[in-house]
This record gives sequence, C-alpha cells and structure tokens, in this order.
Amino acid sequence: MDDVYVTGLGVVCCLGTGVDRFWRGMAAARSSPVPTTDPYAHVTVPLLYAVPSKDRPGADSGWGSTTHLAVAAAEQAVADAGLSLTAQDGMAVVVGTGMGDADRHETWRLAGFPQDDRWIPGFAVGSTVAGRLGATGAVITVSNACAAGGCAVSMAADLVRTGEATVAVAVGAEAYSRVALACFDRLGALDPRECRPFSRDRRGTVFGEGAAALVLESAAQADRRPPATRYARLAGAGWSCDAYHPTAPEPDGTQIVRAMVAALAEAGATADQLGCLVPHGTGTELNDRTESEAVHTALGARAVDLPLYSLKALIGHTGGAAGAMAAVAATLIVHHGTVPGNVPLGEQDPDCKVWLPMAAVPVAGRYTMLNAYAFGGNNISLVLERAA
Amino acid sequence: MTAGVAISGVALVRPAGARWTADGHRASPPPDWFDYRRELGQRGYKYVPEAYRYLLAAARRALAEAGYPQPDAAPEDGGLVVGTNSAVARLHADMDRTVVAGSAADLSPATAPYFSINLGGGRLATEYAIKGYHATLTTPRVAGLEAIAVAARALALERARWMLVGATEERLDGAEPAAGLSESGAVALVAHADAAAPPGSARCRVHLRYLPPDSPVGPVLAAVLAAADAHGDLPVVAVLDGSPLGTAIAAELPGRARVVPAGAGCLEPLMQVAALLVDAAEPTVVVTAAAEGNLAVALVCPSPDQ
Repeated sequence: MDDVYVTGLGVVCCLGTGVDRFWRGMAAARSSPVPTTDPYAHVTVPLLYAVPSKDRPGADSGWGSTTHLAVAAAEQAVADAGLSLTAQDGMAVVVGTGMGDADRHETWRLAGFPQDDRWIPGFAVGSTVAGRLGATGAVITVSNACAAGGCAVSMAADLVRTGEATVAVAVGAEAYSRVALACFDRLGALDPRECRPFSRDRRGTVFGEGAAALVLESAAQADRRPPATRYARLAGAGWSCDAYHPTAPEPDGTQIVRAMVAALAEAGATADQLGCLVPHGTGTELNDRTESEAVHTALGARAVDLPLYSLKALIGHTGGAAGAMAAVAATLIVHHGTVPGNVPLGEQDPDCKVWLPMAAVPVAGRYTMLNAYAFGGNNISLVLERAA
Repeated sequence: MTAGVAISGVALVRPAGARWTADGHRASPPPDWFDYRRELGQRGYKYVPEAYRYLLAAARRALAEAGYPQPDAAPEDGGLVVGTNSAVARLHADMDRTVVAGSAADLSPATAPYFSINLGGGRLATEYAIKGYHATLTTPRVAGLEAIAVAARALALERARWMLVGATEERLDGAEPAAGLSESGAVALVAHADAAAPPGSARCRVHLRYLPPDSPVGPVLAAVLAAADAHGDLPVVAVLDGSPLGTAIAAELPGRARVVPAGAGCLEPLMQVAALLVDAAEPTVVVTAAAEGNLAVALVCPSPDQ
C-alpha cells in the first residue's frame, strides 16, 4: 500500500480564517471565550470560543453553520494543495461532525420549518462539501462525537491507502448547537471561566466552533503533480472503544493506551521517535488525569520530557471538529519543526504529570501524535511523520 | 479495489406488515409494535432512545445467530459500524423545547448523554464488550449501506477481525417536514473479511459515489452498476425517493428494477439487503441515493446453501 501524505490544509476557528492565522494564533497563545449570542440558551455557562462573525461566510445560502465552516475549510485545503475546484474524478470526502447542522433545525423549531415534501437531514454536511469541490468518489459522514474529526482523517487515509480514492479530503466541522451546550451544561461538564486542560483549577470544558480540513494523497498521486507541498506523512492510526460508560473514560485508560500503541505500531515508530503530542485534553477533571496517566503507560520514559501542545486551551473544545483541528495543528508542528508555547493557565494539576512547555521548543523527533476521544468511549490516535 | 464482507448473522427488527398510505407516506406502526422490556429486559433501558432499543434488539438476535462474540475472542477483535440519520432527531426536538421553554436544568441527566448520536453504538459496544474499531455514520440515505463498505475496509486493513454492522431509525418529531416518511426499526449483520470467510458464505459488497448537482446520472450509475454486476443481468432493487436524483435513477432502470419507496432515513436500503441475504435465491443488486447526491450500490450474494 502506498504512503499517504498531507498536501493541503484549511481551518476556520475562533482565531479567524486560514492556516497562517491559525499558526500565528498558536504562537501568540492568547484567546478567550465569549458569551453565546443565542437568547434561548438557558444554561448556567453560556460560553463559547465562537468563530468571529466576519469569518462566517455565506450566511444567506440556507446551509447550516457547520456546513458553512466545513465548506470554507475544505475549499482552503483544496486550494492549498493546488487542486482546482472543478470536477475531481474519484476525489473522496470524509466529514467528521458530532451534531451536523443542528443549529439549522434549532432555528426552524422557533421560526417554523420550511415547506418541503421530504425530510431535511441534519447530517448532509459532507454532501454539500463534495458538491462544492466537485468530488465524485465516496462521501462519508462519521459522527463519533468528539472523536469524529480524527476518525474522518483516518477513514480518508484508508480510502487512499486501499486505492479506492486518489485524493481524499478529510474535514472535521462543528458549529454552535443549543442542544449540545445544554446537555453538557446539564451534565455539569462546562467550565465557567475558560477551557483549562491539565490545570489544577479546571472545572470542565468550553465548546468552540470551527472546521479543519486536510487533503490526503498517495505518494504516487502527489508525485504526478508537483509542486504539491508534502506537509507530513500520515503514518499511522489506532482505533479503540472503551465499551465502559456513556460519558466517563475507562479509569485505567486501557483502551486509550491501546489506541496510542496501535498508532505507533502502524507508523513503524517507537515512542522515542516522538517529538510532540497533541492530547485530547478537554479540561474535564477525569479525562485529563486519565489521559496523562495513559500517556506514561503508552510511551514509557519518553512521556517524561515529551512536549505536549494543548490545543483546546486556545480554541476550546470544537467537538466533532476537534480531532481534525488537532491533526492540522500537529501537521503544522511537524512541518515547522516547532512546538508553540502553550496557553498559560495557572498552576498545572500535579496529578497530570505531562510537560506543557510555556515557550516554543523545537520538535525533537520525526513523529508527532494526536489523540481524540469521545462520549460513547470512541478513541483514536494518529501519528504524523515529517515529510522526507 | 472495493472490499466486501461475508455475513454470518442477520436480524431485522421492524413493524409487522409495514404499510404505505395513499399519499406515499409510511403508515404509523401501532404504538405497541416493539416491547423493549420483552426484547431487552425489564431494567436498564428506560432512558435509552427508541432507535437504540431497536438496534440493541437486532444486534442481540444477529449475534446469537452467528455465535458472536466468541467466548475465546479478545474484545479488541470486534468492531462496530452503525448507520443512522435520525436516531436522535426527536430526542433533540424534545430537549430543545425543554431548554427554550425552561432551562437546561429541566433536562433529564439520564437522557442528556444521548444527545450524541454515537451513544447507541457505545451502549451496544458496552453490552457486548466490543472494543475495536467503532464508527457511527450519518450520511443521508446511504449510511446503512455505507456501514458495510466502511466495515469491509476496516476488516481488510485488519482494524478488527469481525464487525457488527447495523442501521437504525426512529420516528421523527411531528413538526418536521415529511415526518410521515419516518422509519422505525433496525437491522444488524455480523460481518467478516471477505477473503477469510469459508466458501458458501453469504457476501455483500458496496460501492459508494457522489453525484454533484446537475451532473448527468446515467454514466455514473452505469459505471457503478458495472462495478457491482459486470454482466448487467442481475435483478435490481432500487430504494428511491421522489427527488430529482431519485427520479433520474429510476428512469435509468426502466423495467429492470423493483422500486421500493425510500423512507426519511437510511434504514430501508439495509433492510432490503438483509431481507435478500435471508430470502433471495440469487445475487441481487440494491441501489439507493439521497437527494443530496450520495449514491450507494450493493451486490448481495446470499449463501448458496440456504
């Protein structure tokens, strides 16, 4: 099977639009959530790392907000890869989203549904993205909650790896949903101040909005059309399921350890060759502690001085987009050879024995790993390798 | 090369004698058509959404038929791929009204986790200790057939040794357009890597494509049908709606296809596959498409021994 390379990137999040802005935002390490503008969000913690209104394209198209964000990120990524926005024979699209265009149905429930003789599905994000890109291959939507974006990247890579697609666009996308916010609020899983993964004072997570896209191509396909940039090789993926509890992680982290170990094995890498880890790190008490311990179990001595880049402290928890956001961040870390300094969040939890550098450090290793976990016990780890 | 799967267990949970009304909608099944306490047990399912009760019941039957999970197999060997479009659509509507009229504090903490559409699969994984590959797919109309394709690829890449593949839907909230097209029920299949299955196994292979808006249907459909059925002589079941794409596909299959009206979600196409696996005497092609452009074609080969 052929190697799979990342040749294009796109992103929209609370930092704004575009990969350059995203990378500069990572370097600046400053952000804060804002109150949601939804007057019907009757919750105790109405905070959100929202996409700025100027970065919400085409609000009059009738699409839901998640589709808007997904299309924007996918079009950036395809342009970045040097592909044209015309019919792409055999191009596949895999979208990861937990809630789809839930906000559109939430709006309709208050304003009235459109007259239609067919049901309007909430998860047509991938279809719209494919239509915009002229894709004609498989179009798949995966909704593994907060792991969905990472799963989409792996599934897209598998389509390329098996030869079912020459090019695949993986997208993770999630916009604000009143229902999702309210359910997290009811479960007491929201931090009233900000998203503070691994902080001693963390109280839960804070949602963010956004979309991230990666163009994945086989080495042979990328060779056929220079000068495609090879940002990184998507070297390995590890999937597992806790099969333990609807919302809580398996306390001993057995399955998240297994996902990390499997991803390294598929990449043909060892823990010593890792230069950075982008953790799932949501800011919820149990999740961060379990992941910290699992990192040590999975990576052994390398975990002691392995730099972690905690993305959700900067852009919030983007739900179904989070794994793809982490994949874009990890790709940029691999590509630039630098782990940006983490967002300062006060004292680190002594029970979370991981290294979160506060200033940029060089990537000392060929490989970077990312984790994405979800309600339902879905886990995925991905490994990216510096392109030769 | 599109991978296929071998099937060793098939179960359908659906209202008996599902009917259509004169205006093309599905007749509502009787409210007592599915007794979850009888199917699943007296305790533990009160707060589980209907769609996931159907899925759990179908999975229970399919796994029993296939003898899975095998007692000596590692939990990590098993995987799970579930397709659904509307499993929590009605739950979301109920939750949303509760929050708008009151507050999040009025939500049931037992029900709140189920806002996440993958929780049905999570519950299923927990009940049967299925700890390998796990995906919940939501692509309009094709997610059920897509589950077979995704499972086949994951099995071929050895991300699991066996897979539970399913689809489930439940009735829509009455305020939604075309709620009369609601589907209720579930399908579950136990699947294995095609290459590793014993001779005589029932098999299925699914091809996926996307048709951009206003693109010609004929050439793409012909190519996908040819990939599934090289000689073009197998019977075809087409699960289609009245959208422009559904109408165009029906027009491309004059006299060849038995057309079955699609419901709102992704259940009916996989129901057709399951029924063919159980009853058909010969290989059959199942075609379905979403108004949004998603196309899926399945080649269903029942076991010659049945």
